[in-house]
Amino acid sequence: MPARKNAKSIYEDFNKIVANPVRQIKRLRTGAVRIIGWVPTDVPEELIHAAGALPIGIVALDNPAVSRSAPHMQAWSCSLMRCALGMALGGSFDLLNGLIIPVICDTTRMVTGIWKQTKPYVFMDNFLLPKQIDRPSAKDYLIGEMGRLKARLEQFMDRTITASELCESIKLYNYNRSIMRKLFSLHTCHPELLGNKDMYNIIKTSMLMPKELHTNMIAELLQMLEKKVDDNKSGGKKYNIRLLMSGKVWEPPEIMNILDSLGAVSVGDDFCTGYRYIANDVPETGEPLRSLAERQFSRLPIAAFAGKCGDRTNSIIRMVGETHADGVLFVHLRYCEPENFDYPMLRDDLSASGIPNFRIETEIGGLPVENYNEQIKTFIDSLGGGV
Amino acid sequence: MIESPSFKTTNLFKRMMAEYLERGVAAKEKGIPIAWVTATFPVEIIYAAGLFPYYPENFGARIAAKKVAAAISAAAEKQGYFPDLCAYARCGIGNAFSIKRPVGEVLKPDVVFCSNAQCGSLQKWFEAAGRYYQVPFFLIDTPLIENTPTTLIKRYIVDQLHELLDFLELYTGNTFNFSRLAEVISLSNEACRLWNEILEMAALKPAPFGYFDACYHLAPIVAWRGTKWAVDYYKELKKELEERLDNKVYVIPDERYKLYFDHIPVWPRLRWFSNLLLERKALAVASQYTHAWAWRFDLNRPLESLVKNHTEVFINRGYEYRLEQKISLMNEFKVDGFILFSNRSCKPKALGLYDKYNIISERTGLPGVIFEADMSDERYFNEEYIKKLFGEFFDRLEREST
Repeated sequence: MPARKNAKSIYEDFNKIVANPVRQIKRLRTGAVRIIGWVPTDVPEELIHAAGALPIGIVALDNPAVSRSAPHMQAWSCSLMRCALGMALGGSFDLLNGLIIPVICDTTRMVTGIWKQTKPYVFMDNFLLPKQIDRPSAKDYLIGEMGRLKARLEQFMDRTITASELCESIKLYNYNRSIMRKLFSLHTCHPELLGNKDMYNIIKTSMLMPKELHTNMIAELLQMLEKKVDDNKSGGKKYNIRLLMSGKVWEPPEIMNILDSLGAVSVGDDFCTGYRYIANDVPETGEPLRSLAERQFSRLPIAAFAGKCGDRTNSIIRMVGETHADGVLFVHLRYCEPENFDYPMLRDDLSASGIPNFRIETEIGGLPVENYNEQIKTFIDSLGGGV
Repeated sequence: MIESPSFKTTNLFKRMMAEYLERGVAAKEKGIPIAWVTATFPVEIIYAAGLFPYYPENFGARIAAKKVAAAISAAAEKQGYFPDLCAYARCGIGNAFSIKRPVGEVLKPDVVFCSNAQCGSLQKWFEAAGRYYQVPFFLIDTPLIENTPTTLIKRYIVDQLHELLDFLELYTGNTFNFSRLAEVISLSNEACRLWNEILEMAALKPAPFGYFDACYHLAPIVAWRGTKWAVDYYKELKKELEERLDNKVYVIPDERYKLYFDHIPVWPRLRWFSNLLLERKALAVASQYTHAWAWRFDLNRPLESLVKNHTEVFINRGYEYRLEQKISLMNEFKVDGFILFSNRSCKPKALGLYDKYNIISERTGLPGVIFEADMSDERYFNEEYIKKLFGEFFDRLEREST
């Protein structure tokens, strides 16, 4: 298949979408399509897609919007949610037909009530994920909760979601994830061809675009990049350091630019908007709601969920080994309690395993971006890197 | 500890609390497992299984009331825990790393049980404790009940209680004793009934008992619920209150205003707030916090009943339900105004209060005030700001009541 675009122009398309999510929603609403937004993380988008609506992740943020939420949310609460609510209050999401908020922490648990009060949409739903994931009760409950969400979507969309439609959506999403994993693998081997910012924007835009279109674009991109590798045209900038990243989200996005400028490649992460989003698929056999639940329980562990099989320390240490990372960079949002509770023991366990690690604290629309360059550079220098 | 010398029962409380803590230490020495539990965990099951339940939240409140939360928290902060985490958690963790322990040492757990009905902070704190002390961690996960409890959620939690019974049978090596559970639940019922009757006395005008007294006498309904101790204690307290009524002894004899105080108190400032209100002859009389333990269990359906009471608690409910419950308490106690506490340590209670302030004002027409502070940590307490805010509130209260 001949490439219609070059890689650079595809990256630019993605960058534009991430830079202006409001314009993107406007573009998507040109047809009769209904758009249902979802707040990170772990909302089963396949269900929304199978219902005939377009799922859009609230993952591209407009920092100045944070201040609009001040009359409604305490300044000492999560800036990710303050920003999302602020954007809604400013009208950024007026074209959404609905919104799903998963309860993954105390802030997401409470923000729905505030949102419903201050900026209601026709369809709003709390997706109530189980927090314990080891015991059989959790799986039975989650299948039931998936069924509940399915029934609500069916009612809202005035149609039935058949098992075969859901299976088709699962296949579509799995395929999209599988191509992104190939790109991620290429990114970790050839960051000079596919740098941090471009790779992570590919993941973010997959939450902001129709999956079919996104899949076509990244399939083209993959073909172009693989050809460059085959032609040995990888040249360019050297990346000397391999970092594993950990946190809720890779915000602010400038962090990826900083890594690119310092010659450090992110070889993996447990970000909800990063590799964790693409790391595993939904089984394509069996009852589809059960399969969606099965994917949830095999996702990379994050602070929201408790359990032995969700042991985050072991998961991070394993990923460091598998990716041959030189160290771990924690990117933590200020006031994020779940991350804060995990951090001291994670840090100590990594250090005890001889894995260098460093933490930066970020705040959307708050802490200045300028600080991060020096902090990350110091860490990278300590790993023997630097360009 | 907070001083409340006006109540004879205060001395009984101090004696019993000291004895309870000693019993915990003795239990540990005898090899009875110490089980950490959270305030809304179905502790009745833990008693019935023969374990000794211990409440780290109560320990956090005692540290706060002793005005040493910032110092204890510093030990946790030094380890990398941040000053924005729940202060109870910081104090519990801080105690583990402290050398100086002004309220004694937190009783080390043999097993950690947690319900996240109250918040996710407890889940994370107790999970961290399980790892730190290298003991099992068992979570009862309670999804938010936004409006009506669904069959799905009720079934999920009952399933988890069955898993808990399986866990306990393996852990203790004994078959679970449902007869003992019935006895414990009966004791919980009796304590809850007495506690409710005591709280209702604040509706009298003038009242012999108010919200700040309730905060002082709250520990038994949390920490001893399911024991004869709690029943005996509240019988004594109720008897004393009835004597007060007979002798016309009131908190504020010329009580002018009744107020709703939302949430937990600022523990190190309990007396300070009580006096602030007293100066204007105002008595805080009701709160979702103190009324959260007015439970009634059904002995015929023990597990379902434990699920219903412990998971349908206000803190695990949606925005509108909680708003309605606040207003309902305001109506029941015929209050003249309301106080909302935006507590940095408690996001599930604080988030949403800014809008709720406006809605309550609109729906009730009552004057109100909302203030920022932390329930434990005085580093977040600005005395001048609160005095000014409350001064304006009381002026409005006086204007609107004349």
